[in-house]
Amino acid sequence: MRNYVKTNARRRLMQSAAAVLSLLCTASVLMLPASADEPYDVYNYNYLGEAVPSQAGYLAERSVSGLDLGTTAFNAPGDLFKDEKDQFYLVDSGNNRILRINSEFDEILQIYDTFTMPDGSQTKLKNPKGVFISPDTGLMYIADNENARALVCEQDGSVVMEITKPESAVYDQQLTFLPQKILCDNAGNIYIVLNNTTKGAAMFGADGSFIGYYGANAVAATATVIANHFWNAIASEEEKRYRSRSTPTAFDNFDIDTVKGFIYTSTSSGSTDTDIVKKVNPEGYNLFSYMSNYTWGDLFSTWYSGTSYKTKIVDIDIGDDGSINCLDATTGRVFQYDKEADLLFIMGTTGDQVGAFTQGNVAAVETKGAGCENIYVLDAGKGTVTVFGQTVFGSIVHDATKLYNGGYYEEALEPWLEVLKRDGNYRRAYLGISSAYYNMGRYKDSMEYAKKADASGRYNRAFERYRSQWLRQHLTQLLIGIVLIIAGIYILKFYLRRQQKKALDTAKAPEHQTEGGTAS
Amino acid sequence: MMDLTQPQWVKHVVFHPFEGFEDLRWKKGGTLKYTAVIIAALFIALIAFDRWCGFQFRPLPDAMFSVVPYIMRSVIYFLAWVLGNWAVCTLLDGEGTMKNIAIYSSYALIPYIVQMFTQVVLSHVLVRAEGVFFDTVYYIGIIWTALLLFNAIKAVHQYTFTKTVAAIVLTLCAMLIILFLAVLFLSLFQKVYVFFYSLYTEILYRVRV
Repeated sequence: MRNYVKTNARRRLMQSAAAVLSLLCTASVLMLPASADEPYDVYNYNYLGEAVPSQAGYLAERSVSGLDLGTTAFNAPGDLFKDEKDQFYLVDSGNNRILRINSEFDEILQIYDTFTMPDGSQTKLKNPKGVFISPDTGLMYIADNENARALVCEQDGSVVMEITKPESAVYDQQLTFLPQKILCDNAGNIYIVLNNTTKGAAMFGADGSFIGYYGANAVAATATVIANHFWNAIASEEEKRYRSRSTPTAFDNFDIDTVKGFIYTSTSSGSTDTDIVKKVNPEGYNLFSYMSNYTWGDLFSTWYSGTSYKTKIVDIDIGDDGSINCLDATTGRVFQYDKEADLLFIMGTTGDQVGAFTQGNVAAVETKGAGCENIYVLDAGKGTVTVFGQTVFGSIVHDATKLYNGGYYEEALEPWLEVLKRDGNYRRAYLGISSAYYNMGRYKDSMEYAKKADASGRYNRAFERYRSQWLRQHLTQLLIGIVLIIAGIYILKFYLRRQQKKALDTAKAPEHQTEGGTAS
Repeated sequence: MMDLTQPQWVKHVVFHPFEGFEDLRWKKGGTLKYTAVIIAALFIALIAFDRWCGFQFRPLPDAMFSVVPYIMRSVIYFLAWVLGNWAVCTLLDGEGTMKNIAIYSSYALIPYIVQMFTQVVLSHVLVRAEGVFFDTVYYIGIIWTALLLFNAIKAVHQYTFTKTVAAIVLTLCAMLIILFLAVLFLSLFQKVYVFFYSLYTEILYRVRV
């Protein structure tokens, strides 16, 4: 089945090759400042979950290495972060340093490799994995992995606070404390992803005191888990101790929507399909729990030589417009969703060209701009940052999506029509146009577009309005028609009965006449 | 008394669920031609129900259409029913011939077919919230057909009530067995075919080389 879908998609690609090719040519001529064709087939999913050719929303523009920036090559960089001032912070883990890079991503502003502790002593990082800049205070939060600590410091490199392994009863003292990723929320609470617990991120107060764990994943309700639950219910305490426990998979990366305060987590574990991406509110409740089994990334995993290549989301980034950008290490693809988790664009692949990444070794994704104009992907294997730029098509889709998600359906009509002109496969455009026409009272058109989008629920809604509109306009004709039909039936019946009677009479009459012996 | 033409027999049987089939049997009415027409109508009704409904009620996307399941659900199921019923009731002292079982059973399907077409027509003027009308039509059709089918079997074999129930249950089991065997044979023959075909290609290859 999976292979079938794959080959089917490929065949479709071939079939529409001419159309796509011409579209791509026009696209690259019209939309691109200066770039070659992307080294992969651009696709999107239709409502049946089939991969169909699509227009590119983003194109890889350039790839930036450490040497390009005038320093030594990056060594297994671990994280990339963009602060409020659109400056980038690149965690060069293998070189134990953090680079501050300007907004255009072509100049290093500062290199952090030594920090001043509060007591005046100097300290160096050891394999740092994550960095975060608070939008409120401008403080820098560093997950200093192999030093088993997290640092909070000023922009000039003076450490304000050092967070080490908490001495709390809640934190199992047998566990190590190796921070992977770090962020802080609007209240100044610090969240640290550790790689050795499934309870969620370790949460610290603004003063560095350990509060507890935050936002653990749910256990996938597999048959084993349900069976375990059943046996545990009837097992004795003694037996329970020897029974295997159901634990969730741990999420290993996160990002915060600084405007709304939601923390988005991503899970790269290949052994689960539950809670791959969560949207967690400050209380720790997952707002995406209603779609905890939503398939993020590719809908089908590929099988090749006995290995399953399944989407493995290693980083997540929330754009300034609320879009959710997920980075898949398996295929080197970035999946961009809008804030309602509807897929917008897919870009990237594995390979050597610009726009292609080392398989399984991409580290981070970042976006820049109010409409997500640029996407940055950090490839730890190559030690480069690839800059994707938005195409005209991409920006129209973003405009339309923003208006549509904001409830401005009629305003979104123009951009959606423009989207359809450029890509007739883009289903969300049909939905958007259907909604716009519905709000404008053009129910017939709304029905037409709902039908094209195969959205029978929307069609039903528009049809209901269309029907009452039609009835109101044609009520007189309808009533006259009904009366006429009923009258017609009665007249026909009456007529037929008379014919029948006449036929009977004439049938009987000759009998009498023959008996009488006279014929007329 | 009761010298009806074939179309009149259809009407009589459908509108007299309890006496109709006895009359049909007594007067030796009914014809296999009508059976063919009714099964064809069932086939069309099944497709119409999935394809021609108003879009708000269409259960399947256009891209997922295959004609095979519809042939299965009309012709094959009907043949299996007739065969199974004949096989069971021959052993249970039933008086019906295979021809009569086919005729009587097919006549009993008419309300079911009509209810499907009614739903198709209604679906173009109703919205989802008014789905209760569909349920009503559906239940009327299905109960009517069940009643007719029961009395058809009862009349064609001259059974009592309990014996008819037993015969129908056994017929359903027989249908399952027939379909199982059919699938088994199909896959077996496919394997045999593939075997001979590969033999053929192999020989052809040797001849050429």
